[in-house]
Amino acid sequence: MFFGARARQRGTRAPLALGAGLAGLTVVGPALAGAPPKVGPPMQTGPENTLGGLSDSEIWGAIRHEAFGIATSQRPEDGVLIDADGWWWTELRMPSGPLVQGAIWFLLIVILAILLFAIVRGRIRLEGGRAGIRIPRFSLTQRVVHWTVAALFIIMALSGLVILFGRPLLIPVFGHGATSVMASAAMQAHNLMGPVFAVSILTLFATFLPGNLPSQDDIGWILKGGGLFGGHPHAGRYNAGEKAWFWTATLAGVVLSVSGILMLFPDNLAPWVAELAYGFPRARDLLHLAEIGHVVAAVIMIGFALGHIYLGTYGNEGAFEGMVDGTVDLNWAREHHDLWAGEMSGGSAGTGAAAEPAE
Amino acid sequence: MSIIEFLEGPAWKASAAAFLIFAGWRLVVILTAGRRHPGAEPIGSPLLGAVGTTLRHFVPRPAFWRRPKVWFVSLAGYAFHLGLFAVLLFAAPHVAFIRDHILGLEWAALPRWGFIVAAEFAFAGLLTLWVRRFVDPVVRLVSRPDDHIAAGLTFLVMLTGCMALGEQSVALRAIHLGLAELWLVYFPFSSLMHTFTWVFSRAVTGAEAGRRGVHW
Repeated sequence: MFFGARARQRGTRAPLALGAGLAGLTVVGPALAGAPPKVGPPMQTGPENTLGGLSDSEIWGAIRHEAFGIATSQRPEDGVLIDADGWWWTELRMPSGPLVQGAIWFLLIVILAILLFAIVRGRIRLEGGRAGIRIPRFSLTQRVVHWTVAALFIIMALSGLVILFGRPLLIPVFGHGATSVMASAAMQAHNLMGPVFAVSILTLFATFLPGNLPSQDDIGWILKGGGLFGGHPHAGRYNAGEKAWFWTATLAGVVLSVSGILMLFPDNLAPWVAELAYGFPRARDLLHLAEIGHVVAAVIMIGFALGHIYLGTYGNEGAFEGMVDGTVDLNWAREHHDLWAGEMSGGSAGTGAAAEPAE
Repeated sequence: MSIIEFLEGPAWKASAAAFLIFAGWRLVVILTAGRRHPGAEPIGSPLLGAVGTTLRHFVPRPAFWRRPKVWFVSLAGYAFHLGLFAVLLFAAPHVAFIRDHILGLEWAALPRWGFIVAAEFAFAGLLTLWVRRFVDPVVRLVSRPDDHIAAGLTFLVMLTGCMALGEQSVALRAIHLGLAELWLVYFPFSSLMHTFTWVFSRAVTGAEAGRRGVHW
């Protein structure tokens, strides 16, 4: 759809010589389907023959519609001054376009849904109170990895949102000058922290994979709505919601990392990857897809993270301490992860001996 | 006088002076504190013990090599300290600042890619080690507010430094320079002094062990 309108107007890109000789530049342009470019008499006003057989407007019109010429670079796309293929992308990602507006609305809806849930459901308290017996839930490695990723994620998300929403949201409030300073700072931080974030996401995946594979218990948990509106469905070490977050973070993290690295090296890496992917080095197409994938993955991850932060801190009594000191109250484990609590109790829960967190 | 002129002029001179005077004073106090001479005859060489321990502590003891936690702490520590050292002394803007405001001479700066790699290692190391201070029960207990302030301030100086990388805004440079000056003033009164004292600490420990005949 976004490709369509322009592509149909433009027709094929079979090279056709429009004319020769504008300050020594040979301009070659696309043959419009069934309608070759109109070449009229030159609108001569200066010295004779400086425009060749074309007028200025015809030459610039051809360039505007993706005429390509001869460049010193060997890459075909470098001969195109204006990439008409990119208009769909420009329209998509402009401040009033569907990508930015969709991101704003998605995040607003997520925030409102969390607020609504907090008001309606309130804090999910421990029904049986605290047992006073602690059982290990997260190892030191898991906690270090989790909080490192969390810190990096916050930096990446905030700087990314400044870049994404700068024009529609920040300029009206702070003005162009302050927004440009914020955008410059955000872009530098985002670019520098990006590779560290990519490595941290891989570490997160390796550290938390055990226990996060799908199981039959997840179906019952999902059918009961995760107990968010009452009751406690059976769950193992991680429930289906936590598993969904784990896999969302992993997949979104991979998309963010790959697309981010492509955008970090648009001149070196992108043409090479594009040649592998498409069979020709059209880096612009790949970079357009990378930016869209980056934004979509980021917004999904931020939305999911907001829910995770709420439920992991205020929304769910007793959950936060598991990720701080590594242990949870036995009653919390029984109410939210009864199958896992059973496994732990069958071994050593509450004894303090040999109770190692599952890795 | 604009804010950046103030930060590059009087504020810079005052913070550098505070750093030099108080860090120097602390070092003099440490080195002149003196120690009670042990009465026993030495069995081994204190000098060998001091040198050996100072060098040996660059790697974990072999008895702990099988523990991943030890390697994590060592590698993260090296990543942070070497990364920070490279960024501090060899980043092009820092080399220019040292030339214009401190020494009047310059040396070869890191290329941009080298700066980025060094900064990535420094950030990764600092973040993981700082997080460990919060979540490792033992390290949390032995951590004082000063440790968190020192880590936080260092992190902020690094973060604002990388935010100013575009060199498009005086405001960003001013924020970075202001925080760096605050860091310099805080330095002598904090655990950041381990930048200089680590070698004394290792050497004294090694010398005492060496005197008792324990060299390795």
